[in-house]
Amino acid sequence: MKSIGKFIFKLMKIGAVIYGILFAVFYFDLDGKFLYYIWEPMMVKHYDNMKRPDNTGMPYGLKDKVAPAEYTEIL
Amino acid sequence: MKLFEFKKKYHELFVVEKRPEDKEKPRDVKKAFNDFWNGKPHEERRLGDLYVGDTGLYKHREWRGFMDTMYYFNMVWLYNYAHMVTDIVKYGDGPQSLVDFAKGVWRYRWMGQTYLSVMHWFDRGMEGMRGEALRASAWHYRGMVSETIRQFQRMFIADKKLHGGKENKYWKQHIAHNETVGGSFFYPFRQDLIDVPLEMITYFVSVHVNNHTVLKYIDAAQSIGLPSDPCPMCQAEYGLFVEDDYPDYAPTMITSNEACDGSVATSVLQDWFLNRPLYALPQPMRYDDPLVQKHAQKEIEGCWKFIEEQYGVKFDWDTYVKYAESFNKLTEFEWEKWDVAANTENYPINGVAQALYRIYYSQAGDRPIWHECDEHVRKIMNKTVKKNIITFPKTRHRAIAWSCAPLYYSNWCTWAYNCWGINCVINMDSLMFDQYLRTDTYEHALEDLNWMNEKAPMRAMAVGGHEHILSLFDYMERFNCDMVIMYDQLQCKGMQGIHGVFEDEFRKRDIHAIWVPHALPDKRTVSRKEIRKIISDYMTTVMHEEPLDPTLVEFDDDNSW
Amino acid sequence: MKDLVHIFELEDLLQEANNELIRQAKADGKRVLGYTCYFMPEVLLDLPGCVSARLRAPRSSSPEMATYYMTNRTCMYGRCLLERALEGGYNFLDAQMATETCTVTCRFQEHLQLMDIIKNPDFFCEFTDVPFKKNDNSIEHYETQLRHHVLDKLKEHFDIDTSDEALLQAIKEHNEICRLITEIGSYRKLDEPTITGTEFSIIMLSTLVCPKYLIIDKLRDIAEQLKTRKPDEKKTYRCKVVLAGSEEDDPNFVKLIEECGALVVADRHCYGSLPGREEIVVKEGETPLHAIARHYLETSNCPRFMEQHVMRERKDRLAAIAKEYKADGIVISQMKFCEYWSYERTIDTLVLPKDYGIPVCSIEKEYVNNAVGQLRTRFQAFVESIELKNIQSGKTGVNDSSTRKEATA
Repeated sequence: MKSIGKFIFKLMKIGAVIYGILFAVFYFDLDGKFLYYIWEPMMVKHYDNMKRPDNTGMPYGLKDKVAPAEYTEIL
Repeated sequence: MKLFEFKKKYHELFVVEKRPEDKEKPRDVKKAFNDFWNGKPHEERRLGDLYVGDTGLYKHREWRGFMDTMYYFNMVWLYNYAHMVTDIVKYGDGPQSLVDFAKGVWRYRWMGQTYLSVMHWFDRGMEGMRGEALRASAWHYRGMVSETIRQFQRMFIADKKLHGGKENKYWKQHIAHNETVGGSFFYPFRQDLIDVPLEMITYFVSVHVNNHTVLKYIDAAQSIGLPSDPCPMCQAEYGLFVEDDYPDYAPTMITSNEACDGSVATSVLQDWFLNRPLYALPQPMRYDDPLVQKHAQKEIEGCWKFIEEQYGVKFDWDTYVKYAESFNKLTEFEWEKWDVAANTENYPINGVAQALYRIYYSQAGDRPIWHECDEHVRKIMNKTVKKNIITFPKTRHRAIAWSCAPLYYSNWCTWAYNCWGINCVINMDSLMFDQYLRTDTYEHALEDLNWMNEKAPMRAMAVGGHEHILSLFDYMERFNCDMVIMYDQLQCKGMQGIHGVFEDEFRKRDIHAIWVPHALPDKRTVSRKEIRKIISDYMTTVMHEEPLDPTLVEFDDDNSW
Repeated sequence: MKDLVHIFELEDLLQEANNELIRQAKADGKRVLGYTCYFMPEVLLDLPGCVSARLRAPRSSSPEMATYYMTNRTCMYGRCLLERALEGGYNFLDAQMATETCTVTCRFQEHLQLMDIIKNPDFFCEFTDVPFKKNDNSIEHYETQLRHHVLDKLKEHFDIDTSDEALLQAIKEHNEICRLITEIGSYRKLDEPTITGTEFSIIMLSTLVCPKYLIIDKLRDIAEQLKTRKPDEKKTYRCKVVLAGSEEDDPNFVKLIEECGALVVADRHCYGSLPGREEIVVKEGETPLHAIARHYLETSNCPRFMEQHVMRERKDRLAAIAKEYKADGIVISQMKFCEYWSYERTIDTLVLPKDYGIPVCSIEKEYVNNAVGQLRTRFQAFVESIELKNIQSGKTGVNDSSTRKEATA
C-alpha cells in the first residue's frame, strides 16, 4: 500500500515536472520559436528542393471527353 | 557562439525591456500581486513590448492574470495541441492515419509549413482577451481546427499522390469541390460519400495560420503569365496546381462561379490540370430576381444527378433532412448570437472568431464539431447575458467590417480593440447564408437550399445589384454600430467598381469609415503594419483619440506568420 | 487597294457615340437603347420603333471622374463609359439594357441606375441575368429573362411591338446585316485578302453603333465593291493574324497591328464578328424568342461559360478560326483588369502554341491605348518570329524575304 502511494506520488511528481516544463514552453513561446527558427526554414528548404512536374506541359486540346453528354451538351 | 552573442540572442528572444520610468518606480507588492492574480489593467499591458522583432513571436506569452492564463494554458494551448494529435487519428484511417499525416506534411507545403504553427494563430486572435471573451472565442477556434484536421485527413487517406498513384477505396468515395461550393449541396449523399473542398485548407485556412505559404502559389500563378491584378485568391488557388501542390483525392470536381469572375476563370484552369469529370454549378448573378430561382434549382438537381451517376449512389432524402435540420440549429444559434451582439454589451466573441467561424462552418455545412463548440459558446453567452458581463469593457466604438477581409490579417480586430477600443461586432461575410432550410417538402427544401447558397460569401452583398452592397447602412443600424471598417480589397473589381459611391454615402451620412486596403492573402501589397497605420492615423487625426495601449501603435511584424 | 466606298464616312461615325445616324434615328422617332455586351441580343433592341447602340467611349483620354467612382484598378472600358456618361455623352439613350456579365461593366450600369446620370426623363436601366452554361435549362432561363427584362420593359415603357411577328421581322433585318458582314468578312479568307483588318473593323463596329436601317445600303455598296476589288500587287503585310480577346472597339489598334506587318484577318473578341454576325435560325416549331436565346448562347465564345466541354471547345474554335482564315498566328489581347480574359489569355498563350502549333502574341492593353510604342515593338517582334519560323520550316509566299523587305520598306 505504501509502495503504491509512493508510486502515485512519484507519478504525480513526474507529472508536475512535465506540467512545469510544458508551462515553460508555453509561457516563453518555445514552441513558436522552435517552429519559426528551426522547423519552418527546414521545411521551406525541403519544399523548395522538391522536384515538381511542369503541369502546364499537360496537353489541353487533346484531352479526353470525361463528362457524360447529358450534363454538358445542349439537349 | 560567443557568450556576448548568446546573451544578445537571449535578450532578443526572452527579455522584455522595462521602461526607464518603471525601473525607477518603487516595488509595489500589492499591485504586483493584483497584476499576477487579475492581470494588468488594459492601459498598462504594453502588449507590443512582448514581440520578438518583426517575427510576431513572443518573448513570453501574455500573463492574463492567474485564472485566464491557466485557462489559456490548459484549455486552449494544451487542449488544442493534444487534440491536434487525437483528431488526426479520429478523422483518419486508424493508426495508419499517422503515417498519412506524416506523408502529407512531407509532401505539401501548405501543410508542413502551416499545421504546427496553429497555436500562434490562436495567440494572434486572442491577444489581450480576458474572461468569457477569451473562452468563447477559443471555442470557435477549436471548432475550426478540428474541421481543418478532418478535411486534410480525409484528403490524405484518399490522396493518390500519397499512395503511389493508386486509387484506393477512399479515393472513390470522395467528392472534390471548390471551397466556394457550399457543403450543404452534398447533404443527400453524406451517408455514402465524403465531400471535401479542395482549396479550403490548401489555401484559405493556411493563409490565416501562416501567410508565408500562399506567396509561393501566387508567384507560381504569375510565373506562367497571369497578370498580377486578378483576385489573388483565385491566383493562389490555381497556383496550387502550377506548383503541383494539390492533393488528388477524388474522381470528380464540382466548380462554381462564386464569388466572382475570377472564380469562373479558375475553373478553366482546374479543368486543365485535373482532367476529370467536372460539373459546373453556377449561381445566378441577379439572384434575388424571382425568375432566376427555377433555373438555379435545376442546376442543383443536375449536380445531384451528376453525383449519382458518377458514384453510383442515390439521392437520399432522409439524409438531406437530417443534415439540413441539424444545420438549422446552427443557424438558429447564429441568430441568437447576432441578437446579443446587436443589442447588448455581453457578446463574448471577438471580431476575428466571429468572422472566421461563421464563414467556415456555414461554408463547410453541418458537422458534429460545430454543435459541440456552439454548446460551449451558448453556455458562456447565457452566463454573460444573465450576469450582464461586459465582455469588451474598453469598447469605444462599435464597428461593422464590410467587404472581404485581409486573410493575412484577419486578427486586425483583436489589435484594433487592444490598441484603440474599436470593437468589431459584426462583419459582412457573417451575414451571408442567412436562411432557414425547410424540410417539409422536396420543393421547399430545394428552394431554400438554392436561396441559401445564392447568398454565399461575397456574392450575397457584392453581386446582383448595388442595393446589396449598400445594405451596409441598414446592418450598421441594426447592429448599433458607430463606425465602419471598409475593407478595400485592391484586386476585387466588384468592390473597386463601387468605391466612389461609398465615399459619397459616408460623407452624406456623416459616418466614420476607415478604408483598409489589402490584397486578400498577399501581405506584400499592403502590409499589416500599413493597415495599422491607416487605422491609427484615422483615430488620432480624425477622432482625436489616445491609444489604450501605446506599444501597439507602431511595431513591425512583417515576417510574422 | 482602291479605297472602299463609305469607309471614311463610317470611320467618321465612330468618332462619337451620339453620331449623326443616331441623331437621325432619334429624329425619326426611334428609341435608342444602349447595351455593352454580346449577351444583350441586339436583335431585340432593333425591334420596330427602336435602335440598338452598343456603347463605346471614342476619343477618351483620362477618365478622372469615373476613376473617383471606380478607382484606377478596374477595367478602363467600364470607367471610360462612366466618364462619358457623367460628361453627358449618353443623354441620347432612352434606356440601357444591362447585363451582369462582367463585373466592371455591371458596376458602370449600376451607376446609371443609382446616380441619375442620364438626363433623359424616359431613361431606365434594366438588368438581365445571363446563364453560365449552354444547356437547355440555360436557354429556357435566358429566354424568360429576355422576355421579362427586355421585351416586357420595352412594351411597358415605349409601347414597342414585341409580338412574334415583330421579332421575326427584326430577325430578318438582323440576318440581312449578318449576311452582308459575313460576305464582306469572307474576303479575309482569301490567300490574298481584299479587305484589311482595319477596314473590316470600321465596318463591323459601325453595324454595332449605328442604326442598322441607316447603314444597310452602305454595306451593300461595300459588298458589291468587294466582289471586284483586287489586292495590291505588292503585298503590304508579312503575315496574317487573328485578333482574339476581350473588349476591343478601336480600329486604330487594328491599324497598329497592321502597320507592324500583320494583316488582321479574323476578329474573335467582344466587338468582333466571330461570333457576332452569324444568322439567327428559327427552327421549325420554335418561337422567335427561343431561337434568339438559343442563338446567343450557342454562338458565344465568352470565357464566362463554365461547362467542361465548352471550355475545351473554345480553344478548338480559336484554332479552327486561325486555320479557316489561313492565319500565321494569333494576337490575344486582353483589356487590363479584365478577369475573364486574364485567365483565358494565359491559358490560350500556353495551350495554342503547344497543342495546336499556332504562335501567339499575348498582350495586355488599356482602353485608351497610350502604350503604342511598346505594343509596336511587341507586334514587330511577333511578326519577325513568325517569319523566322516560316523560314525554318521552308514556308514561303506572303512570308518570303523579298516581300518582307518590301513590306518593311
